[in-house]
Amino acid sequence: MKLAYYPGCSAQSTCKELNASTHLVAHKLGLDLVEYRSATCTGSREIRAVQPELFLALNARILAMAERDGLTLMTICNTCTLNFLDVIQMLGEDREALSRVNDALAAEGLRYEGTAQVKHFLWVLHEDIGEAELRRLVKRPLTGLDIGAFYGCHITRPPGHYGFYDSRNNRALEKLNEVLGANSIDYSGRVECCGFHTAAGEETVAIKLVGKHLKDAKDHGADAIVTPCPLCHTVLDTFQPDMEKDTGARLGLPIVHLPQLVGLALGLSPAELQMDRHVVGLGDAVRRKVIPIAAA
Amino acid sequence: MDRLDERHIGLEVGDTITAKVRRFTPGEEPRYDTFRVPYEKWMRVLDVLIYITEELDSDLSYRWYCGSKMCGSCAMRVNGRETLACWAAAEPDMTIEPLRNLPVLRDLTVDRKPYEQRFLALEPWIHRANPYPGFPEPLTHREMRFASRALDCISCAACYSACPVVGLGDVTNFSGPAPLVQIGQAALDPRDSHDRWQHLIREASIFSCVSCYRCEEVCPASIPIVSRVIEPLKALAYRTAPEKPRHPHVFLDIVRRRGRIDPSELVLRVQGLRALLGLGRIKALLVARKVAPWKTLFGKPIRGIRHVRRLFEKIS
Repeated sequence: MKLAYYPGCSAQSTCKELNASTHLVAHKLGLDLVEYRSATCTGSREIRAVQPELFLALNARILAMAERDGLTLMTICNTCTLNFLDVIQMLGEDREALSRVNDALAAEGLRYEGTAQVKHFLWVLHEDIGEAELRRLVKRPLTGLDIGAFYGCHITRPPGHYGFYDSRNNRALEKLNEVLGANSIDYSGRVECCGFHTAAGEETVAIKLVGKHLKDAKDHGADAIVTPCPLCHTVLDTFQPDMEKDTGARLGLPIVHLPQLVGLALGLSPAELQMDRHVVGLGDAVRRKVIPIAAA
Repeated sequence: MDRLDERHIGLEVGDTITAKVRRFTPGEEPRYDTFRVPYEKWMRVLDVLIYITEELDSDLSYRWYCGSKMCGSCAMRVNGRETLACWAAAEPDMTIEPLRNLPVLRDLTVDRKPYEQRFLALEPWIHRANPYPGFPEPLTHREMRFASRALDCISCAACYSACPVVGLGDVTNFSGPAPLVQIGQAALDPRDSHDRWQHLIREASIFSCVSCYRCEEVCPASIPIVSRVIEPLKALAYRTAPEKPRHPHVFLDIVRRRGRIDPSELVLRVQGLRALLGLGRIKALLVARKVAPWKTLFGKPIRGIRHVRRLFEKIS
């Protein structure tokens, strides 16, 4: 299956391991990814808020590339996913904005028609690969590994976007854990906010928002946390030493990107998945439970 | 799933509802009382509370008035989620608690004063530069597309309770979503001519919103609070403030120059030298290869950057 692929800024800077493991896992899953080197940032929350028309144009430009090639656009970042989905909706409702955006894109030979499809990797796993095929591909089930899901906001909110009643009903990561052979733990942070979007200016908010939830995950026996979003990963991983200071609790919780977790189960090694590019190391529990499997 | 009968699946007339209610009287320790209430058809959380006060414990304190999602006085938390008691279906097992982020007066009744003082300080009324021209005023749907959504607010404070940043107390000066919706009713109205950036940036600290959409998730009036109120207000503040808010300003500049965000440059330029003080973190980031100083200093822009810069010129 051929897909257009949008890694986003984080996966090409602070979370290079996410980009690398997505490519490796996509290959194992039989996905052929077409990456657009000229794709920009989608505007995150900043351009989106303060320059709404520019936000529409930046996203429409990337969507138009996928339309041109007739490919579904696969994302690996929650915030980018929501931005694309919102722009599809906004330009669908505002023909005047659509024509202004297309005028601006014309110089590059691009035109956004409104047919683009966007899918986060998590949905590609569930909808395009499917449970049966994924079970077939699992080489080393993650037996005995207790995982807490950290969904992040923009893959589960705002309400009405994602086909379930509210964020409490989202079970996509827990179902995936089960398919990969791991256990899911329940804890307070499943659908909470990581605070990334104000952390460039003031990281205390992110540290205080997340620390208590990681502590709760630890108290519920989590060996690791999985997240489908590199922005959440950045907060949960790189600020974790600060959260330990703030909560006074020893955390040491490895934070795993979604494709890394799938990759481990498909037989890739932690080194291939570049899991050394995290601030928090793999941890004793994961080493004890996964590495022997991966080394088998 | 939002329909009452669907949420009542599993409940039949005569079944028992177990309601665990948080009780508090000033001067005493808070406690949870458990009540067993017989389910009646179409029963709402409010009906359960009325049954408790009429049949089991007349001492239970809670507010309600209209019973039909208009007055906004019966907001509380059911099983951890903010809702209106008059609108939420009774569930077989419920934990009913007062709103968060406001002082509890008794049981499920909170003191709304801190919230009301917060939004009154933002002057949530229209300041007209020109005198009222008489009815009808020439207004279009397009001009009112944001204010009209904010005007749906029933001031129930459910979002104020759900906001995780408000929940952090004094860590920020963020006003929370509900006061911003109140100011949005005026500031997003085209007839308002008041210079709002001071209210939005200094008083409400609007750029402390983390965009988590918790507020939208609990809003009983279904207001798209983040995308149709807070973001248009951020745009207004950014457009009118004499000194541009640092984070969005630097963000725009980096994307214009590079096409993509370089997180190191963003943090360094937003925080200044303060970003270099945490030596422990910098070392950890270097060891994990999370930062690449060479690339931050000399990295090339993305392919096709001239097209991107033209978009910036044409649109911004």
